[in-house]
Amino acid sequence: MTLTRLALRSLLDRKGSVALSLMAMTVSIFVLLGVEHIRYQAKENFSNTVSGVDLIVGARTGSLNLLLYSVFRIGSPTNNIRWSTYQSIANNKQVRWAIPISLGDSHKGYRVLGTIPEYFQHFSYGQQRSLTFANGRAFEQVFDVVLGSEVANKLGYRLGDTLTLAHGVAATSFSMHDDRPFTVVGILAPTGTPVDHTLHVSLQGIEAIHIDWHQGVKTSKKPLPLSALEKAKLQPKSVTAIMLGLKSKMATFRIQRTINQYNQEPLSAILPGVALSELWQMISLLENTLLLVSVLVFAAACLGVSAMLLSSIRERRREIQLLRVIGAPPYFLFVLIELEALLMTLLGSLLGLLLLAGSIMLLGDSLVPYFGLNVEVNLLTQNNVYLLGAIIGFSMITALIPSVTGYRQARVIQD
Amino acid sequence: MTIELSNVRFRYPEQPHHNLLDIPTWSVPKEEQVFIHGPSGAGKSTLLSLLSGLLSPSEGAIKILGERLDQMSGRQRDQFRAAHIGYVFQQFNLIPYLSAVENISLAARFTQQKNTRALNDEIEELLSALNITEKSWYRPTRHLSIGQQQRVAIARALINKPQLLIADEPTSSLDTVNREAFMKLLMSRVAANQMTLVFVSHDPSLSSYFNRVESLNNISIGGAWL
Repeated sequence: MTLTRLALRSLLDRKGSVALSLMAMTVSIFVLLGVEHIRYQAKENFSNTVSGVDLIVGARTGSLNLLLYSVFRIGSPTNNIRWSTYQSIANNKQVRWAIPISLGDSHKGYRVLGTIPEYFQHFSYGQQRSLTFANGRAFEQVFDVVLGSEVANKLGYRLGDTLTLAHGVAATSFSMHDDRPFTVVGILAPTGTPVDHTLHVSLQGIEAIHIDWHQGVKTSKKPLPLSALEKAKLQPKSVTAIMLGLKSKMATFRIQRTINQYNQEPLSAILPGVALSELWQMISLLENTLLLVSVLVFAAACLGVSAMLLSSIRERRREIQLLRVIGAPPYFLFVLIELEALLMTLLGSLLGLLLLAGSIMLLGDSLVPYFGLNVEVNLLTQNNVYLLGAIIGFSMITALIPSVTGYRQARVIQD
Repeated sequence: MTIELSNVRFRYPEQPHHNLLDIPTWSVPKEEQVFIHGPSGAGKSTLLSLLSGLLSPSEGAIKILGERLDQMSGRQRDQFRAAHIGYVFQQFNLIPYLSAVENISLAARFTQQKNTRALNDEIEELLSALNITEKSWYRPTRHLSIGQQQRVAIARALINKPQLLIADEPTSSLDTVNREAFMKLLMSRVAANQMTLVFVSHDPSLSSYFNRVESLNNISIGGAWL
């Protein structure tokens, strides 16, 4: 008869109260691990989202807003930048490359990004990893579209398929650019960044679908024929933001100051790394609060288990006496009660992990369009392993209350 | 001698001026079966707890099987009890959610280092000898009748082949038929294993099974306030 078997049988004998305590433990571990996992994933996502871009330029706004709409495709820009301004910045001697981006349209809830083919060459993420094509190539024609991996996966598009864009960014739009279908010419490899959830078209494509539009409303019922479109000058008048790569890192602050003081139009230039840190600081405050609340929930569940074990000691007085009579030393009772708490914590942790994995599988995708957050189901990260260790340690400490009581009762047992 | 007590006094910490037990001298030779009777609250169970090492005397010497129990540490007394003393209670002799086999193997856990197979063989042999049917061996003991439970309790007390068996009113929850059967079984096992038996009860009708009958009042002059 092993001690573990005895502890298990003892718990099973009190299945009603044990089940309730276990449920509380499971939910608290689910919340605690969930908050920590999402915090970790968010940090990973954020820090890997953009690299190799020295400055991001947009209309005058706060750095976080500019970062959110240009990189994470969250929120909307306050204004656009004139095309002449883009040209002026791109022609600066210190600028190695300048990628204009244009946002504002969508397809089935996924954002559409208008840009130039060099975007696929210069944009990088993670540790300076460039974008690669899983299938196809970059856009060349006006109505070519390159899909992020998640868009292609979720919507089931393949090369050669056609799709139409919607005006605005709502998941359900009544203003469709259905007269100008785009053809899928490329599908990007997964990056784990908002790029996966983006459709990439040329700036000329964006211009072309808006050629009959005025202030968000289609003005002509009869669309221009394709031949006429090709003849039309599809030069953009403005863009949403510009990503800059500089020839020298030393010039970054000088160029940033120059752009911020640009007198032709009010602009903001931000360093993506600094803005990411600011964003992370802001979010981590909220997350630390959430973490604190979930730690308190877990502490309450641990105390609940301890209270259950403590009250069981009164019911088990005769059992303790019997164990003493057959030669069990008092520390046997101490270890037995600690082991019961450990088994409950381990089972609660396992159930909490399964519940969390199931929730991420079911609901993880819904986090992407709202928060730009890609949460992985793999929960066995180093952070989570440490957290599980802390969970077990803490529950062992709170179980000292009933364990020491059981030990003391075993020492003074007398019929 | 199996039991030798000299100048043993016992006081509970809550009543430091009241000797519940005061035993100038008392001994039990090997293989003797002693029946001790006395009124409730006289200290019968306390005496048994002293003999089994669950309690230590306030004063005096307790020698069991030639070993000074009163000079042992708590851990040593636990080990000594597990190896040499069997104990049967009035009730709650078994952990109700464990089977008969599990209850008995739990008692063996604190002494012998036999392998599981050998231990299980021994348990099954013992249960068969005590007329416990095979279908009852692996059921939680709470589902067994009181009579069956008391027989399993004997098996549990005997598994470590103790030289001293202590029984604390083991028949008080049994009806007449079961009581007779229990006593016959107990005495036969005690004789077969050449054990010393100390049996406490307030039922004098059981005294006929024993070769020595004593009143607690004759053993102890306790109950006096200091």
